[in-house]
Amino acid sequence: MRGRRFAALCTLLAMSAATASETPRTVIGPTNVDLADGAAALLAGDAEEGVRLTLRGLKRAAGDRDRHAAWSNLCAGYLMLGRPDDALSYCNRAIDANTGNWRAYSNRAILHIQAARYEEAEADIRRAEATNPRARKLGEVKRMLLDKTNPVVPSISVDDGRGDLPAGDEPVDDSS
Amino acid sequence: MKRRAVSCGLLLLACAAFATEDAVTFVDRNLKRTPVNTVFPEYPRKAWRDRVEGDVVVCFHIDQSGKPVGVRVRQSSHRVFERPAVRAVRRSRYLPLAADEQPSAVKSCRTFRFRLEPAEPTG
Repeated sequence: MRGRRFAALCTLLAMSAATASETPRTVIGPTNVDLADGAAALLAGDAEEGVRLTLRGLKRAAGDRDRHAAWSNLCAGYLMLGRPDDALSYCNRAIDANTGNWRAYSNRAILHIQAARYEEAEADIRRAEATNPRARKLGEVKRMLLDKTNPVVPSISVDDGRGDLPAGDEPVDDSS
Repeated sequence: MKRRAVSCGLLLLACAAFATEDAVTFVDRNLKRTPVNTVFPEYPRKAWRDRVEGDVVVCFHIDQSGKPVGVRVRQSSHRVFERPAVRAVRRSRYLPLAADEQPSAVKSCRTFRFRLEPAEPTG
């Protein structure tokens, strides 16, 4: 259950990396078909095919733009495949190449959470937030961290008294 | 003569008012129903995930058999809690009334407090 949720989150992050047209990490387009198909495969949840195509596309990368996109997507892909060392390596490359790559920070934060490196995870989340404070995916990662560092359990109480009702909101006679 | 008629009318009105009050008092006698099965709602997963807490006040009538009817949300701090609270009330039961007793016309209300408490870290 947790694994499925995690995979879904990685897919979301990969999707974001692949489809955001305003950043240089975007891989959709005719310039590198393998990168585009790899991103599409990651989007569809096929991490194995996504990584294979992205690695092939990386070999034929036309410039920094393609390379950064490939690293970012490989980070997400290896994360989905459960290969944290490979994922971390590509996350680091993507971040070194572009310190404003919030998706790579976000992916790396997940890796840190998995490895119980919560302080590093928090730092990466902060860096990602500094770049894109409104990213909804970051909320998911923050929740993952909170679930580990500050878990909560539900507690529900029932009160049949009427003391909580504000004045004028007492139970009424509806018989009329 | 005219003054007497007015006085008489006022007296009748007062009696009518008393009669209404009596009726309400009679209903109030049956207001306190004994719960026999209080169903607790489930904490909505989304609220748990998003760490949202809240209160819901649900008001309802209790019929002769002890079943809550006409269940309505009176107050809620967050909509996500309303459905589980209403469902819990609908599934709850009260002690049935005796054949000579009448269900109250006054609604009962139940407050649900949804809270999240710290748990042991799993990491």
